[in-house]
Amino acid sequence: MVIIDKENCKGCGRCVTACPKKCLEVGEALNAMGIKAVQYKGEGCISCGICFYNCPEPYAIKVEK
Amino acid sequence: MATIEQKGMYKVFPRSGKNVSFTHYCPGCGHGIINKLIAEACAELGLQDKTIFVDPVGCGVFTYYYWDAAHISAAHGRASAVATGSCRARPDAVNIAYQGDGDLGAIGFNNAFQAASRGENFGCIFVNNSLYGMTGGQMAPTTLDGETTTTTPFGRDPALTGYPLHVCEVFNQLKAPVYIARVSVADTKRIMQAKQAIRKVFEIQRDKKGYAILEILAPCPTNLRMNAEKAAQFCINEMEKEFPLGTFRDETATRPAREVRPIPQCASCAELFAEKTAIPAAVTDPAFAEKRFKFAGYGGQGILSLGLTVAEAARLERRHTLWFPSYGPEQRGGSANCSVVVSGTPIGSPTVEHPDVLVCMNQPSYERFAQDVKKGGLIIVDETVPVHVQPPEGVQLVVWPAIRLAEEFGVPKAANTMMLAALKKLNCTGLSGDSLEEALVASFKKKPELGEKNKQLLRQAEQM
Repeated sequence: MVIIDKENCKGCGRCVTACPKKCLEVGEALNAMGIKAVQYKGEGCISCGICFYNCPEPYAIKVEK
Repeated sequence: MATIEQKGMYKVFPRSGKNVSFTHYCPGCGHGIINKLIAEACAELGLQDKTIFVDPVGCGVFTYYYWDAAHISAAHGRASAVATGSCRARPDAVNIAYQGDGDLGAIGFNNAFQAASRGENFGCIFVNNSLYGMTGGQMAPTTLDGETTTTTPFGRDPALTGYPLHVCEVFNQLKAPVYIARVSVADTKRIMQAKQAIRKVFEIQRDKKGYAILEILAPCPTNLRMNAEKAAQFCINEMEKEFPLGTFRDETATRPAREVRPIPQCASCAELFAEKTAIPAAVTDPAFAEKRFKFAGYGGQGILSLGLTVAEAARLERRHTLWFPSYGPEQRGGSANCSVVVSGTPIGSPTVEHPDVLVCMNQPSYERFAQDVKKGGLIIVDETVPVHVQPPEGVQLVVWPAIRLAEEFGVPKAANTMMLAALKKLNCTGLSGDSLEEALVASFKKKPELGEKNKQLLRQAEQM
């Protein structure tokens, strides 16, 4: 399942676009940088890792199978 | 249970005086994705302890904070040149240059191109985002026809600024590269292809097969003034039209490992420069009156050698001396002259505007320099030079048959030696005849028999 570290997310939304199951969204809450970070909708993740590879940040996303 | 997470990067990045775990890249930047793939490939292949990254100037400048391996930072455009040094100094390492399109495509193009042509053992990862990112989105060589940047506000106009530079296609004309490919990180499918290609670059370096270049199309949302998704679409819909993806060359299967030649080394600089270090220093002697010479003629008459022989004679007498040639691009036939200063004290300028002694081997030389000779000075002209204009008042003119004597002796090339005979005979150099002879012989040290022959000719000519 996808695990998002919202403090490392810059909110670009590439993972949201790339997710084949459309289970990610840009959240409303601001992180410490003042960015609306991406969050998991809570269901639908198949742990494919596509979000991880589309994300430009090394530590914003990890996926546990 | 396998976790998909970042490998090969430091856990924290000590940037700007604090530890953070996010990069300096803008949201949606292609560099970030590429940086992750590079770190992953390096780690998965177990090459972190063997890899030397050469980091660029440009948006990729901070990669040394991210990749957990060795790094060298290069000046703008010079990563391929530095990687050349790195891969030669450390042939055991995996050397990877990381460069952008402003860096590699513009200021550093020749560095990269020549390194590719030599087939240096490093991999070049070339990030093309169609503009200068770090400096604010100016036009780069890779900017598309019609693309708006800060320096092409009305769109790039090829009539004004040329056409986009196709780096892979240009490099594909070279013989040496093993692998040339263009990939993209615009979407998942392309990212997975890029991942394989990056891995391949590392494998080629691990196996020492030679030069590889991988161009990666990367979105730059900030300078394209688009969101991340639109910028990625720009890569696919616009950039790929100009820069088609694909593998231009892949000879990894057929190429043997590149032979690593050791850099030739000598025991020491002293050995390399032994002859020069043996030259004794000049001795200061204010009593010796400074003499300034000008030797002039056409290239091929041995004018420069004649001046050098006089300077060498001065050196043998441990005088301060300078020899300063001036000649055109022609190997033969252009006009040539040289200035020689012989002094008892250290010499300031090597140029001679007003010589004490002027030697002219052809007419243009006489016409150009005769009026500059100091009062009380001396002009020696070859007898073939027509003296239409008298020398300045108080300047002695000597006409000497240097060219004819050389021909009569059967050695036409020795006209300069015949001229040296005149200098010796007239005793106008302030140097001893023995030194002049010794210097003449020394000038033929690679052909000793000619040295002796010229010395004999010199003595014969002196009797004339």
